[in-house]
Amino acid sequence: MSAEILAAPSSGIAPVGHYAYDQVDRAFLHDRVEQFRDQVARRLSGTLSEDEFKPLRLMNGLYLQLHAYMLRVAIPYGILDSRQMRELANIARTYDRDYGHFTTRQNIQFNWIRLEDTPDILARLATVDMHAIQTSGNCIRNVTCDQFAGAAADELLDPRVHAEILRQWSTLHPEFSFLPRKFKIAISGSPNDRVAARFHDIGLVAKPGRHGTVFDVFVGGGMGRTPIVGVHLRDNLPEEDLLAYLEAMIRVYNEYGRRDNIYKARIKILVQALGAEGYREKVDAEFAAMDRARYRLPPETVAAIRARFGTPALDAPSDAAERLAGARRADAAFDRWVRTNTHSHRAAGYISAVISLKPDGGIPGDATSAQLDAIADLAERFSFGEIRISHMQNVVLGHVRQDELHALWQELGRAGLASANIGLIGDIIACPGLDYCSLANARSIPIAQKLSARFANPDLQERIGDLQIKISGCINACGHHHAGHIGILGVDKKGEEFFQLTLGGSAASDAAIGQILGPALPEDSTVDAIAHLVDAYLVHRTDGERFLDTYRRLGAALFKDAVYALA
Amino acid sequence: MDVRSNRREAGGSSVVTANRLLDGRIVWLAGDGAWSGRIDAAHVFSNDGIEAVIDATARRQQADGVVGVYGVQVRDDSTTPVPVTVRERIRAFGPTVHPEFATLTEVPPDVR
Repeated sequence: MSAEILAAPSSGIAPVGHYAYDQVDRAFLHDRVEQFRDQVARRLSGTLSEDEFKPLRLMNGLYLQLHAYMLRVAIPYGILDSRQMRELANIARTYDRDYGHFTTRQNIQFNWIRLEDTPDILARLATVDMHAIQTSGNCIRNVTCDQFAGAAADELLDPRVHAEILRQWSTLHPEFSFLPRKFKIAISGSPNDRVAARFHDIGLVAKPGRHGTVFDVFVGGGMGRTPIVGVHLRDNLPEEDLLAYLEAMIRVYNEYGRRDNIYKARIKILVQALGAEGYREKVDAEFAAMDRARYRLPPETVAAIRARFGTPALDAPSDAAERLAGARRADAAFDRWVRTNTHSHRAAGYISAVISLKPDGGIPGDATSAQLDAIADLAERFSFGEIRISHMQNVVLGHVRQDELHALWQELGRAGLASANIGLIGDIIACPGLDYCSLANARSIPIAQKLSARFANPDLQERIGDLQIKISGCINACGHHHAGHIGILGVDKKGEEFFQLTLGGSAASDAAIGQILGPALPEDSTVDAIAHLVDAYLVHRTDGERFLDTYRRLGAALFKDAVYALA
Repeated sequence: MDVRSNRREAGGSSVVTANRLLDGRIVWLAGDGAWSGRIDAAHVFSNDGIEAVIDATARRQQADGVVGVYGVQVRDDSTTPVPVTVRERIRAFGPTVHPEFATLTEVPPDVR
């Protein structure tokens, strides 16, 4: 970690919810932009070949996709402020086709970027303390976090300060910039896993210990072609050893991880090969041999980082909850939205609101520049200018006064952002799929659109209840299909699209990998097949049982019959 | 280049494609050696000789301002070149989820 970064205090008002940059951070970003501007110029002149340039552009988040370059912009721990959101809207309007796509890693992607514009785009991002570093390449990627961090009633500890510490520690870490493969860390401070901690290379759960903050550590989880639920490596890692222990974990991976086979290069393969105990022994040996004083994370450093975060002044009127209750009684549609799209807040009179980016028949995670601007405006008016992106591809306003929630909902309706479907069948995760992605085998988005249109009826959605559908266009599983209660995987059969269904996955604390139901289906049968699965569930569920519970109780046979018996 | 996108059958026909270096947009090799943004301007080659065309084109890609040159097999039942695979049809005609981004004003029927 840069001592200079930690030493410099913030001079201005810190943004609520995330770290405030100072001149050291800004100078670094400026230099990085100018470095890339020179690299682009050399590529265009032919001084750099495509093979030489590719790793350089990937280090700056720039991919060459199916139709154009795609720029993936980092949103550290999924939190940004209204001025940053407005700049994203500007970029969508000026350099792209007027929209952006929020990803399952809490980032945003622009799908129609021109290479020659990219240095200017990065320069504009830098004006609002944003960048595209660590959104690609075999490095430690953007650290993801609970979308309700610092707000949730069920949270034990706000993990965002530690997420920021991990961001600073991992940025340009000389030892970990060329790992065997990409490396993803998620952190939560709640016992209720909302970050898929057990599906990350490292998952951390922060909690208060007897002598300060401690962490439960999971390792070796992941999706992709070899889905694995992570191993519980240890409990109660003291805060002061957080960086040393993670350094040891990744050092062991860097030394023993496979570089000869891209499909066996993730840490999950190493942990499986060594066994949990074998991996733990190597990490402990490395940890014991380290200069612990050098890697120690002292409380004063944590406090210095914490001081760079703005905190909201939570002072709701005493009758806020009562006024919300009255608004709910008076407006059934609002009442439904509150049931599905809000989350309990730790402070009296406050609530967290989830803005669904899954309109009926829409593209999951997409937002127009006008909607991005609207979200920025609403964040300033209702939630201290703070905005969160969830790995479910939705947006959260974390700190909304309960007595102002009805006004927020009305404004969301005017912006086309008031879908009441969070956690329901319409809240579908979908990767960009074959409509955009050069790796994909099949289209994800059209299946999601057809499903959300088919189940658009809000009464039906609520009757079906908690049901997570997750769609990936290829085995790389960016759409998290392995963790879907119903997972859909696109496969290629002689140049045509087919879809394989998996059932029983979960990314939550009861993490599980979905099991393949049967042969892959043609595109035009897939939506009907999902409808048959839902029908079977509704017939066989007991009171209060989620789809996942019914599947676990009854097994796959009846669901298999529902899909294939009619074929 | 991904093998899936570069496979061809004996006796078939193909067109040559790449992405433009400056903006990444998809381009197709026309009969005069220029690159077009429209697949209906692409020259159709017999698969028997296309490897040599791809090799020669790839050698001049920096001068042409393109990257990732490869061949795409097309159907033999259409006057407008229509790729055999759904992936290449999406490249040729635009993302199916945004009809307003279609690359051709008139998309041949049954191309999805």
